Amino acid sequence: MFAYTIRRVITGILLLVVMSVVTFYLFYASSTTPERYACGPKCTAAQLETTKKSLGYDEPTYVQWGKFAKGVAVGRTFPDDPELRKAAPQLVQECPAPCLGFSTGYSAPVRSLIQDKLPVSFSLAIAAFVLWMVGGVALGITAALFKGRLLDRAIVGLSLVAFAFPTFFIGLLLLKFVSIRWGLIKLPAYTPLTENPWLWATGMILPAITLAVVYMAGYIRITRAFVLETMSEDYIRTARAKGLNQRTVIGKHTLRAVLTPLVTLSGLDLAGLLGGAIITEQVFNFNGVGKLSVTAIQRFDLPLIVGIVLLVATIVIVANIIVDLLYAVIDPRVRLG
Amino acid sequence: MGTNRKRLVAAAASMVVAVGLAGCGGGGSDSESNSGPSEGAQPERTEATKGGTLYSLEQAVTEHLDPQRVYVGRDISNLGRTVYRSWVTFPAGATTEEEGATPVPDLATDTGTPNEDASQWQFTLKDGPKWQDGQPITCEDFKYGMSRTFATDVITGGPNYILGYLDIPKDSDGSPAYKGPYTGEGQDLYDQAVTCDGNTITYRFNKPWPDFNLAIASLRAFDPYRQDQDQGDKSDLQIFSNGPYKLDGEWNEDTGGTFVRNDQWDGTEDTIRQANPDSIVFQIGIEAETVIDRLIADSGDDANAISTRNITPAQYPQITGDVEARATNIVSPFTNYLLPNFNRITNVKVREALRLATNRAAYSGALGGDKASVPAQSIVNPNVPGYEADSLYSEDGNPDTEGAKQALEESGETLPYPIKLTYPIGSEASDKAFAALKASYDEAGFETTLDGLDPSGPYYDTIQKPGSDSDLIWGGWGADWPSISTVIPPLFDSRINLTKNSNGQDYGNYKSDEVNSAIDAALVEPDIDTANGMWADVNQQLSDDVAYIALDNTKFYYLHGSNVENYVNSTSTSGYPDLGVISLKQ
Amino acid sequence: MSSSPTQVHDGTRSQSAGDPLLVVKDLKVHFPTSDGVVKAVDGLSYTVERGKTLGIVGESGSGKSVSSSAIMGLFHGSSAQLSGQILLDGTDVLTLSEKEMRALRGRDVAMIFQDPLSALHPYYTVGAQIIEAYRVHQDVKKSVARRRAIELLDRVGIPQPDRRVDDYPHQFSGGMRQRAMIAMGLVNDPSMLIADEPTTALDVTVQAQILDLLQDLQREFNSAVIIITHDLGVVAEMTDDTLVMYGGRAVEYGKTSEILTHPEMPYTWGLLSSVPEVTGDTSAKLIPIPGNPPSLLNPPSGCHFHPRCAHRDKVPGDLCVTTTPELVPGGRDPHHLKRCHLADPEDIYLQEVLPEIAPDLVDEIAAPEQTGAPGVHGTTGTTEQGGRA
Repeated sequence: MFAYTIRRVITGILLLVVMSVVTFYLFYASSTTPERYACGPKCTAAQLETTKKSLGYDEPTYVQWGKFAKGVAVGRTFPDDPELRKAAPQLVQECPAPCLGFSTGYSAPVRSLIQDKLPVSFSLAIAAFVLWMVGGVALGITAALFKGRLLDRAIVGLSLVAFAFPTFFIGLLLLKFVSIRWGLIKLPAYTPLTENPWLWATGMILPAITLAVVYMAGYIRITRAFVLETMSEDYIRTARAKGLNQRTVIGKHTLRAVLTPLVTLSGLDLAGLLGGAIITEQVFNFNGVGKLSVTAIQRFDLPLIVGIVLLVATIVIVANIIVDLLYAVIDPRVRLG
Repeated sequence: MGTNRKRLVAAAASMVVAVGLAGCGGGGSDSESNSGPSEGAQPERTEATKGGTLYSLEQAVTEHLDPQRVYVGRDISNLGRTVYRSWVTFPAGATTEEEGATPVPDLATDTGTPNEDASQWQFTLKDGPKWQDGQPITCEDFKYGMSRTFATDVITGGPNYILGYLDIPKDSDGSPAYKGPYTGEGQDLYDQAVTCDGNTITYRFNKPWPDFNLAIASLRAFDPYRQDQDQGDKSDLQIFSNGPYKLDGEWNEDTGGTFVRNDQWDGTEDTIRQANPDSIVFQIGIEAETVIDRLIADSGDDANAISTRNITPAQYPQITGDVEARATNIVSPFTNYLLPNFNRITNVKVREALRLATNRAAYSGALGGDKASVPAQSIVNPNVPGYEADSLYSEDGNPDTEGAKQALEESGETLPYPIKLTYPIGSEASDKAFAALKASYDEAGFETTLDGLDPSGPYYDTIQKPGSDSDLIWGGWGADWPSISTVIPPLFDSRINLTKNSNGQDYGNYKSDEVNSAIDAALVEPDIDTANGMWADVNQQLSDDVAYIALDNTKFYYLHGSNVENYVNSTSTSGYPDLGVISLKQ
Repeated sequence: MSSSPTQVHDGTRSQSAGDPLLVVKDLKVHFPTSDGVVKAVDGLSYTVERGKTLGIVGESGSGKSVSSSAIMGLFHGSSAQLSGQILLDGTDVLTLSEKEMRALRGRDVAMIFQDPLSALHPYYTVGAQIIEAYRVHQDVKKSVARRRAIELLDRVGIPQPDRRVDDYPHQFSGGMRQRAMIAMGLVNDPSMLIADEPTTALDVTVQAQILDLLQDLQREFNSAVIIITHDLGVVAEMTDDTLVMYGGRAVEYGKTSEILTHPEMPYTWGLLSSVPEVTGDTSAKLIPIPGNPPSLLNPPSGCHFHPRCAHRDKVPGDLCVTTTPELVPGGRDPHHLKRCHLADPEDIYLQEVLPEIAPDLVDEIAAPEQTGAPGVHGTTGTTEQGGRA
């Protein structure tokens, strides 16, 4: 298992290198002109060139990538132009390794920007994850146990409705009515958990619900299907034939089997969310990685875009490894090699 | 007036909804254009009470707080009323175009002294004003501030008129030989062009600049800057104040910041800024819909809130009763227009037919109707002094299809005449608006191809190519200071726009020596009324050539909390809420 | 050979002497569906005594597995409608509550399922599953239950049981898994053991070992056993009585020796015809039964088998189509019951069927008929070979 993990980590790192190269080239393959954004509204062609140069966008893509890679490995000093650094030491900013570069839009190191936003996205993702796993699995099991009856139909029907609504619609609806119109919950805002757990929870509840609702809808249906499928398995009949009560049959034998696909799915879903819930963060004005990525793209902020792509990719790769390891723990039939 | 049209359009490409291209749908009703510049709820001025916390709810994230880099109209206005002072400013709470366009002394003892041909300006610093750390503001601070604009590799994004005006030799590539304070390259050249003699500064230009003090009052680029506070790009979101407020802690680009009172500011000396609230909280990054929902609900702190987000057409039905009393609907400083490509449509009759066939009423209607847009009657915005409605444009904005057909007939061209209309994509509403234009063109005998492009790059890359095959190109503009000199020259002076690789802002490749020399004459005319008369003649010439076709003026439709008093969408602050006079009920 | 002739009991109905452990009377299992009622079991009666083995034979969907699931009470809480009586040691399990039934399940009556790979939980060790089965009914410590599990695994022939007890099912071979299943079934010394196709999923060589094991264990525990199978070889080797099911009903029921040598129902003939005889006469034909099993939703009228029956023309009129034959004694033995309108099935079997499927047996079976029993041995012996093949 150890060798397996090491191998997976190495593959993951290679993948990250490839992804960073691809991101650099894709950025320039698109028809946007990043320097136009930085230069301002009434920019002449000559100024456009100067801006391009000052942002480092004039160099060949592979040179830019090389500088980026060097920064990750050993760190960098900004601005890139050594003469300017010498002439105006007040402008110099150090970016120690692993340096993800310097955001052109924010005038700040990409790493510190992401570090600032990660707790927000993590909090949101984990709060939503807990909500949707508890709610989705419980309702899914309930629906399966009452298969074909009114309760089942109600749960499945409602989950379909929730599934059909776009996230921003649910978010705006909750925000508009629960918070603004009725004033039931104060306007959602992020407070660090370490600062005030109560404010963290109350500020997090609406966005977490918004995010959870869509996922929960999916997990209700998935759990229901898994439970029904498992309940028709021979080994469940065996369990009942032993004389086990229903609670043990469902709670132990059925859920144990349902756990495997759920862990795989939810692990990857959670990983996707840790990298930022773009729409939910946008609607509730939560400054997480999702909102940061929107801003990065709007401003053609290449270093920031690359940083976020690598962050999200790292999370997904790590999550994949963890899920695979967990899978081996959960399912005795799986041996990693 | 500090405006930022292109940036707003660029932002429209993504999720941010731009002024003018905002909203979804909207009725196609003809807009009854009876809107003067100061239409809307006339502010009721009451005795201002001091104290309280004002909230500013906004969507767009802050790009720059650095005075030499800020170029967003709202930020220019807000910063000028709270933390940044300059030689001159516009009077607080002005409600007429004239008053709002007349500079008054701020840090200077008067409104500045030009030499005979206005190629030199002098300002003398008042005694007393201090920075937030208690040190007095000096003439050198002014000199240093302006020098930063020359560092075009560090100080990006801000207005750069000074690069063309200041009397500094040019390099072979046309850029000034002075490269800004960081490298020090060409510093001696700058030191000769801008000199401090005690408290008096002298600016030397390479050509006359009669409305220089309007530019100072309208932009932040000429504000003083303390050299020991300058960290270049790192200073982008820092504020070193000399106004009535200062930044409490740090500014967070995504969430905003809080302004608190600056105890080094002297209210008896600065009589322009009333500085009524004790603090101002800027909350940014909130979705436009949510901002308006909160202002409608008007609960808690939101009763003390203002915003410059437009009410979206979907929310119009909710603006009734006491909510309506808190709403303001005024014409913004932004004008939108079409430019015929003179490299392609050389027949003036065809351009005339296009102008006659343009359905400005349907265009405005598609953008949200008379609350969001009003048909324009000139390329000059009604808020700019010297504006005159052009009789060529009907007030209701309806097309003269018969006239267009006739003009097209007279042109002698084979019909239907094919045209390609290039415009920036942004929202469903803007697509509808351009579809409406196509309909009336096609009815008049054109065969219109709509060419919607992404304004984040392809749009400007395409239309700025001199060899572009677009026949009709959309443009939007807002004057940088209240003078036609910041409208017509930047758009139609072929000498500053047309180069081998780019047509600059002159997307239609319009080139007229007659207009160029008339521009030169008007630019140096020191008397404003005379100058306005000259601009009217230039505009007439442009109209005769059909150099542009006016489309609409974007409107502001703002809402504020019920506890906010002395709320003025001042002409001094480009129609944005004037923080110089605003106050809160106590 | 399944059992010595002296052990063959003298009756199949409840009136028989001895001690009937399980009495099933007029059992009906109906499933209401949106298309109508599926009559999976429709009026089934049989008896099993302690130490005896009943074989239930039939095609898939004949209701053989459903009836045994009913005995286990596995339809509790489902939509199935059950009627009739299932008397287990005098108690009607159909009247028991789920809780009472749970106490019986696995303790008094245990079941061994067809495919041990899918019937064992993949995520728990074999030992854990046996321990769980034991501790449901016995109030003992885990360590005691574990010892019991190892003991049982040893008894069913798992090598190194103290180690293998902690293995997962996928680490066992197919035959070992079935042994483990049997160990789990027997862990509570059930008086009644139902084996549902216990050898179907196994290699043929392993099948024989498992059957031997079952027989040994039955002797040791003196359990009553029901073996559900479609394999007449298994029936011949293992069972005392045989019940042939078709379309949810019993169509022939009697002593195994009787049924295999003198079948009186064309469907049973068909089953016999379709047993492959590897070591048997090469001239014997393998004749599959034509057509498909009947729909339980809309079963054929009259005799359910009539659409597939080759001998319908020997019955006067359209009796087969209109009238359901009763399950009544045939001509030979009062305890040999058959559900068929044919007046003299014995004749037809000997004249028409047997020459086709086993020509060399015609004389053997026909001749001793006058003199009695001996021929039985020959036939079962032959069939046994087929079954083992």
